[in-house]
Amino acid sequence: MVGMEHAWLLPTLPFGAFVVLLLLGPYLPRRGDWLAIGAVAASFVLFAFMLADLLGALDEGHFEGVSSGIDWLRFGTFHVTLGFLFDQLAAVMLAVVTFVGTLIFIYSTGYMKGDPRYGWFFAAMSLFVASMVTLVLADNLLLLYAAWEGVGFCSYLLIGFWHERRSAAEAAKKAFITTRIGDVGFLIGIVLLWREAGTFNIREIFEFAEAGGYSREYLTLAVLLLFAGAVGKSAQFPLHVWLPDAMEGPTPVSALIHAATMVVAGVYMVARTMPLFDLADPIALNVVTSLALVTILMSATMGLVATDIKRVVAYSTLNSLGLMMVALGSRDVTAAMFYLFVHGFFKALLFMAAGNVIHGTDRQEVTQLGGLAAKMPQTAAAFGVGALSMAALIPFSGFWAKDAILHGVSTHQNALVTALVAFSAFLSAVYMGRLYILTFTGRPRDHHAYEHAHEAPPNMLLPVLVLAAISVVAGFWTFDAVGEALGFPGSIGKFVFFEEPEELKFPSAIAVASIVSVVVGLAVAGWAWWGEARPARVLGERFRPIYQLLWHKYYVDEAYQWVIDRIVLALGRVIAWFDRVVVNDTGVDGTAGLAFFTGFELKFLQTGRLPNYALAIAAGALIAAAVLLAVRV
Amino acid sequence: MTLEEGIFYVVAAVTVLGGLGVVLARSVVYAALFLIVALLGVAGVFLLLAAEFLAIVQVLIYGAAVTILILFVLMLTRARDVPQAVDGPQKPFAFVLGSALLGLLVTAIVTTDWAALGATEQITLVPARELGRSLFRNWSVPFEVASLVLIVALVGAVILARMEEEEE
Amino acid sequence: MIPIQHFLVLGAILFALGVYGVLARRSAVLILMSVELMLQAVSINFIAFAAYLAPQEFRGLIFAIFVITIAAAEVGLALAIILRLFRNRATANVDEVDTLRW
Repeated sequence: MVGMEHAWLLPTLPFGAFVVLLLLGPYLPRRGDWLAIGAVAASFVLFAFMLADLLGALDEGHFEGVSSGIDWLRFGTFHVTLGFLFDQLAAVMLAVVTFVGTLIFIYSTGYMKGDPRYGWFFAAMSLFVASMVTLVLADNLLLLYAAWEGVGFCSYLLIGFWHERRSAAEAAKKAFITTRIGDVGFLIGIVLLWREAGTFNIREIFEFAEAGGYSREYLTLAVLLLFAGAVGKSAQFPLHVWLPDAMEGPTPVSALIHAATMVVAGVYMVARTMPLFDLADPIALNVVTSLALVTILMSATMGLVATDIKRVVAYSTLNSLGLMMVALGSRDVTAAMFYLFVHGFFKALLFMAAGNVIHGTDRQEVTQLGGLAAKMPQTAAAFGVGALSMAALIPFSGFWAKDAILHGVSTHQNALVTALVAFSAFLSAVYMGRLYILTFTGRPRDHHAYEHAHEAPPNMLLPVLVLAAISVVAGFWTFDAVGEALGFPGSIGKFVFFEEPEELKFPSAIAVASIVSVVVGLAVAGWAWWGEARPARVLGERFRPIYQLLWHKYYVDEAYQWVIDRIVLALGRVIAWFDRVVVNDTGVDGTAGLAFFTGFELKFLQTGRLPNYALAIAAGALIAAAVLLAVRV
Repeated sequence: MTLEEGIFYVVAAVTVLGGLGVVLARSVVYAALFLIVALLGVAGVFLLLAAEFLAIVQVLIYGAAVTILILFVLMLTRARDVPQAVDGPQKPFAFVLGSALLGLLVTAIVTTDWAALGATEQITLVPARELGRSLFRNWSVPFEVASLVLIVALVGAVILARMEEEEE
Repeated sequence: MIPIQHFLVLGAILFALGVYGVLARRSAVLILMSVELMLQAVSINFIAFAAYLAPQEFRGLIFAIFVITIAAAEVGLALAIILRLFRNRATANVDEVDTLRW
């Protein structure tokens, strides 16, 4: 029987698929896509067994998770284990990663069909999943960091998958470098934690922190640095700029990045280290909340004007990630993980449905789409489910999760924060409604594209429909009865929690406010964009500066570009001058020149005449003999 | 002064005179002839040291073979035909260095307590038979190696000297 | 009896003469002869040590035999080299051969 101690198999399977595809890919039938799908699916099946094992252990009583591993490095007293920790938090993550991953892989067989690097795509995707699973299971920060970087590297490979396109290559670089800025902080944070505790093991660090091993300021600094890593990876303001550009990758990659891997890694990491955030100064969680709020509001407003269908969905991801971070800022791990869980399904759904649209029409600007519901009814329906989940309309899964977050925020934060989060719910309803209306209803704007539009093939449609069904029902895990029927101890609040199991409550005030804001949002979207979309155009003209501000993404990219051009490059020029003049000309060339010069001068000592050399040898021997004699006597 | 000492001084004087002739002679041929004198003198010293086998080897190899070889080369290189200074410009330095070396060596010899190192008063005669036994038993491997070196050197010398004829 | 120092001083004189000759002479043949003088001095020392310090073993004598052997080989090779030098550069004077430099 496969149990929790076999956790190491989970990342090994996709990694093995990666190695085999890398070495033998071109010689396998169908370039080995079946192998990659099989490996990920096997991981999911394995995970199901491990989950059953976990639930069995939960029934027996208190459970802390199972850790297993081998020695990795050992230098004297410094020693690191390659360890895996399987607990409830990891289980929720793995459910999303392996299940959604499998569906995305199946979807890819259709979307990537005929691509010249079809096999390599599956190899890189396998490595991506393997890295993510390792990240989730890691029981120490060092392994977590290694997997973290593995995820970043795979995102670079996959965002730049079509690297012949300059924009794709640059988006890949942007994603890699931007997240790297946060990763530097993350690494420093890990080293700070290790320096005091002497261990990388997460649980041992918790124990050390709870015993008061860190001073409060030190711990605050360390967790803020950890959070810097999450800011980069989970695309929070101000390092969010890479995520919209990451749309340059193939759509399955976007789905994988947004739903199952990569961006949720930061959320997961913060949830994992929540005890440290809790022990640190409240300022740490306040920073988390503030940045998350900025992210939410920026992304929601930017989503109102963007015209690229994938880009709008990407802004919705920023929005969702902000929501998760706000929940974490309110110490509500349950709500964050619940949202992460359902978000994995409906976000993958949105991307794959958007991918179907792109695949069917070869267009991805909504200004060239429209009226596609008639041509692609199933995709339209599935996208509608995803959009409503994202907009958080009752009874779709997004509603329950977002309600949990609203509840958590309202109990831990002041009214302003709650109001802003609620306002973002309204905004997300508006832009998701807008996206659906512009894409699937009204009159087609590009008749050529419309004529050629067709419904996606079964291997692309089936994963979408499966996800649509799950997106409808996944939120019901908020009820104890549903959880118990599935074998869990109850609702998700009793499965994943920080400190104490909790009931998920739905104060009617919040629920009503949430429902009303969503309905109003959808209504506004319908009023503004339905049909000819005249109100929207009028508003755009009327508030042109605001429209421009949103269209240019608050000029964050431009600001960064200015900083890079004026400050980073100026500094770079100074350093380059220092390198050229001081290091190279003086240091390197200088010593070489000195050696050359002395050699050039000294070579004239060489007469080339044998007697001179003989004289020198004799004199040297005489002196040596005299010295030896003197020493003896 | 005993008879032995008298003989030693005579032989030593001949040897040193020969050596002086080698390094001071104005003609290369004279220098070669002085070398023969010096070598024969050294053979006499060997006899005084009761190493008569080596004295014979010395006369045969050095006195005859080596000297004749040198004279042949002098003939072949016609060095005699070109009248020019035989000494180089660094002669004064050479003199200083040579004198300094001599002083150093004599100092070393005089200041060393030879009796303490186990120097005997008498010279024991070494029978040639014993020397031969030792050479071919205890020292057979170095002997063979030396033979090999000798033959390689001579073959090499022949090839070096002949190469040009083939080129032409 | 003759003390060992007498022989050693004779060797030292011969050696110093050889060194002087090697350094002062121009002709390669004369230098070679001076080297022979130095070798003779070494041989005298070896045999004197053998006779006075370790009469039961013949190491010094054996060494002297090898010195003579190697010296014969050396003379053969050196003369061949001098011969070639003379044929290539029409001189046997070492200070006229100065290509051994930059």
